Amino acid sequence: MERAIVHLNVADFAVAVERVVDRRLAGRPVIVAPPAAARAPVYDMSDEAYRAGVRKRMPLARALRLCPEACLRPPRPELYQRAMDDLLRRALDFSPLVEPGPADGHLFVDLTGTSRLLGPPVDAAWKLRRRARNELGLDPIWTLATNKLVAKVASRLVKPAGEYIVAAGDEEAFLAPLPLHLLPGLKAGDLERLARLNLTRAGQVAGLTADQLRVAVGSRADLIAAAAKGLDAEPVLPAGRHTEKVSAGHVFAGDTNCPGKIKAALLEMVQEAGHRLRSGKLAAGGLTLVVAHSDGVRCIRRKRCRPESANDFDLFELACQVLELAWTRRVRVRSLHLVCWKLRPLSVTLPLFAAERRQVLRRRNLVAALDRIRSRFGSRAVCFGRTPAKAS
Amino acid sequence: MQNNTRTHTVCRIRVGTSGYSYPEWITAGFYPPGTPARKMLAAYARRFPVTELNYTWYQMPKEPAMERLAERAPAGFTFTAKLTRSLTHEIDPGSWRRQAELYRHGISPLLQAKRLLAVLIQLPPSFGRTAANRRYLASLLDALEALPLAVEFRHRCWAVDRVFRELEKRHITLVTVDTPPLEYLFPTLDVVTNPDLFYVRFHGRNLTGWKSGNIQQQFDYLYSDQQLRDWVRGPLTRMAAGSRRGVVFFNNHVRGQAPRNAAMLAELLEAG
Repeated sequence: MERAIVHLNVADFAVAVERVVDRRLAGRPVIVAPPAAARAPVYDMSDEAYRAGVRKRMPLARALRLCPEACLRPPRPELYQRAMDDLLRRALDFSPLVEPGPADGHLFVDLTGTSRLLGPPVDAAWKLRRRARNELGLDPIWTLATNKLVAKVASRLVKPAGEYIVAAGDEEAFLAPLPLHLLPGLKAGDLERLARLNLTRAGQVAGLTADQLRVAVGSRADLIAAAAKGLDAEPVLPAGRHTEKVSAGHVFAGDTNCPGKIKAALLEMVQEAGHRLRSGKLAAGGLTLVVAHSDGVRCIRRKRCRPESANDFDLFELACQVLELAWTRRVRVRSLHLVCWKLRPLSVTLPLFAAERRQVLRRRNLVAALDRIRSRFGSRAVCFGRTPAKAS
Repeated sequence: MQNNTRTHTVCRIRVGTSGYSYPEWITAGFYPPGTPARKMLAAYARRFPVTELNYTWYQMPKEPAMERLAERAPAGFTFTAKLTRSLTHEIDPGSWRRQAELYRHGISPLLQAKRLLAVLIQLPPSFGRTAANRRYLASLLDALEALPLAVEFRHRCWAVDRVFRELEKRHITLVTVDTPPLEYLFPTLDVVTNPDLFYVRFHGRNLTGWKSGNIQQQFDYLYSDQQLRDWVRGPLTRMAAGSRRGVVFFNNHVRGQAPRNAAMLAELLEAG
């Protein structure tokens, strides 16, 4: 059966939520960023601020120079998460297969096979958007296609507002005239290599044979060819089973070179990511760390985690190893971003040998106890000595 | 293509359904098992000569998509297209003129290919005959003047001679509807305001479903042979007498009842 996938996307989600809370922000340029630190990066901005040149992760001082009339709001991730949960609850009335993004206003909803109950998917999609607008005050872009990739491209095309229905069978024709950078999954290197051959549109790439494309992009040829033709078999993962990545980030109020501060921030991120992994009964198969420096240079390093783990102690040991690889410059560090990938269901199997088993059990029990305390008394109720209050 | 264009006296009547791409029509037996959505139009066109595009109500028609549709449709096959909701149900006073322009532009490939019989302006029951709404409708009809237009009112307050006269003056079709017997709904009238085209929409008569707000219940209805015979003998004959061409659509899409009724009506017209 052909699939019917809806992509719901609230553009500039943080700003959209702030505008629901404070109606005075409607129509005015808005920047969401920590106001106390001039060098703190922009978390999100409205379309008006974007048009003035403001971009995400841009230092706030520069953003305010570009858009001095902007209203500044501090980031409130908990509020955005609540709004996301509300959106998710409404989407779940339409299908059990809803895949939310990480509090960013993105949702995929699989409406395949629901038409006898809900009517044509296009009508259900429109009703979902209407509920988001009427009940939450959010006005998401909504697109409908036979797969996630095409639905996502359609969203990018109509952003910041609107809708797009890509009829089944129209995928390749729809993508053909579009620039390649709109296709999800293509990296900067791919685009560069293809551009050198004057290949800038999806249709040009879709017209190449596998061998021709392999000459340009090597082993990524199959993936890129499929994307250019609008082929994507990736399922919509039910809410709570979004297993692609778990990530955490930290922005230093002032750029720093202090190992203590950096490790404390890393530990805090590990705890946050570890908690989310365990909540989803998942374990990470690897870690990636992005170290962003004051001069804008970013160092990215990754390492496999063997065996997969969701334990804060294991993850922190590995994160420190990755930090050593990534933090090699003397330039001060502005922010860290930790990504857990290759997520697998959390295994309960213990090591065969007694000594090793004892240590694993001890760590597991300790982390379980910490989770219990935090779930009862809040995430700040108990913390490691390295993170006495909050790494600053 | 089976000939479902019926010549009724001198009027050519085309019978079809509102929309054609319904996966549930496979289980209903209208489409062969396993028919992918991209092949539904070709399969549909073997049975009916016309369809009403519903999805243009949900999204603004895009020129490339309309071009592809015009190319894909077999020779002689025609369309009517609903006007986008931002011009009928979700009107923004500040941007509707731009929306009308986008619509004209988006639908133009079908018009140029001579496949567009009418643009259906379906107004919601909440669109009453107030001074503001009258002004808006007049401006909208002006803005879409270049297109063949048909107006479907849902509220009965528009059923007055003055409205019909104005439509007649503008050469715009008044849509005749078959709906459940609800007091506020526009009545079934066989008034012809445009001798070039009459336009009939069968919504089904599911009274409970209509009130439910669920589209699957609202349009869950199968017309009986007798009900359709009454239509052929009554309103359709009268409208055909005053028109050169007519289109009839069944909107009771649930469980494939629309194509079933459309085939029944076509047969009756053929026989009559």
